[in-house]
Amino acid sequence: MKRLLAISGLLVFFAGGALAADGKALVGKFKCADCHKMQGPAVKTIADVMKRKAPDLFYAGSKFNRDWLVKYIQNPTKLRPGGVVYLNHIKLDGDQDTVGKVLKCASKLSAGDAEAVADYLMTLKDPDMKTGVFKPGKVKKARAKMVMLKKEACNACHMFPKKGGGVSCPTFEGIGSRLNPDWMYSFIKNPRKWDPKIWMAVRDFDDATLQLMVNYLSSLK
Amino acid sequence: MRKIGFFNLMMGAVFMAVPLVALLGSSDAAAESAADNYKLYCVQCHGTKGVGKGINAPVLAVAPRNHTSAKDMGELTDSGVFKAIKEGGVAVGKSTQMPPWGGVLTDDEINDLVKHLRGMCKCEGKK
Ligand code: HEC
Ligand code: HEC
Ligand code: HEC
Repeated sequence: MKRLLAISGLLVFFAGGALAADGKALVGKFKCADCHKMQGPAVKTIADVMKRKAPDLFYAGSKFNRDWLVKYIQNPTKLRPGGVVYLNHIKLDGDQDTVGKVLKCASKLSAGDAEAVADYLMTLKDPDMKTGVFKPGKVKKARAKMVMLKKEACNACHMFPKKGGGVSCPTFEGIGSRLNPDWMYSFIKNPRKWDPKIWMAVRDFDDATLQLMVNYLSSLK
Repeated sequence: MRKIGFFNLMMGAVFMAVPLVALLGSSDAAAESAADNYKLYCVQCHGTKGVGKGINAPVLAVAPRNHTSAKDMGELTDSGVFKAIKEGGVAVGKSTQMPPWGGVLTDDEINDLVKHLRGMCKCEGKK
């Protein structure tokens, strides 16, 4: 019995695990951890947040869609118009704050390496996150925009496609390709579970409102 | 007063260690100074100088309050300022673009922020 388990374990390893193991080595080789936190927990003080160079990746497998990851780490684009920690990139123009120079991700992997690294990143899952929470359905665009733009003013901090918006945090452009809807649901419900010192306000949303918003965000490909 | 023996202390330490580890492991973060909270949460809209000119301000439909203006801030009561921070602009009949911070800051931290704002405007709250 034991031997059987060992053999089937090996088979699984060769089938899928091999790439993930390569991916882990590549993350080491390309020094992703110089900028990204690859191991939890998240920092808990403002002083430590100020030292953050790049987004945490230790729950990447819960947060991202794999296809998006594969493309992004070959050719990263700007996701946070104001930088990772906006406070570190403010440039004063008189008494008006503007955004100074911000860093882009330094990852420039080949297609093959990107597949392996994405496989590894997808293994970094938060065991506590509930999956299957998001219920895909018809996107109620007008209703969602009513809630997010008029009622809750998410656009005070986030950019909406065409509409524009704030710059102190990630853009919503393309967010549907980028993020796992279950993670979005969990993050909007309680951002501080993921990042205890994140500068997003916590609002008390019921399930229907969360579904409405995540449905809309998922449609922004 | 009751004397606490070495054994009791040790046992206490063992029992204390369990919840302590649990606490450190939870996402509950430590209290921060009003100046640091202001920087992290408020500057994005109210600006480095507190005059309402943060990086997000140009896209807002309503200008964030100028926290250094004795005239504007002097019209608000301390309890009104507390409520605006905790429950958001809507709770005090103002814009929803001023978010609610009650889920982020403790009441003590919000009270400290009210004092911090009074230092910025060098003014007292309306009675
Ligand atoms: C020099 C610092 C640096 C290095 C090294 C680096 N990154 Fe990044 N990375 C960043 C920054 C900065 C961002 C945020 C970009 C933005 O938001 O516009 C980022 C963003 C990302 C994101 C998106 C995260 C999110 O939450 O939006 C992923 C995924 C990522 N990097 C993967 C990698 C991988 C894989 C490596 C190693 C192969 C790597 N990075 C190396 C700085 C770095
Ligand atoms: C006060 C500013 C602010 C407001 C208002 C705000 N957010 Fe956020 N939001 C943030 C910050 C900061 C982050 C995380 C930044 C990061 O990961 O670098 C974030 C992240 C997110 C994410 C994850 C995005 C990503 O790309 O990683 C989602 C989804 C989100 N917010 C939804 C919302 C919704 C829905 C609303 C309105 C109900 C909203 N936010 C309002 C500041 C804000
Ligand atoms: C997303 C942008 C945004 C953020 C972040 C923000 N504010 Fe505001 N704030 C506003 C806007 C806009 C107004 C003006 C509302 C109005 O006049 O209708 C405002 C108004 C206020 C007022 C005046 C309320 C009143 O009754 O007139 C106070 C006090 C205040 N903010 C404090 C804070 C504090 C403290 C923080 C940080 C914990 C903060 N704000 C973060 C946008 C923001």
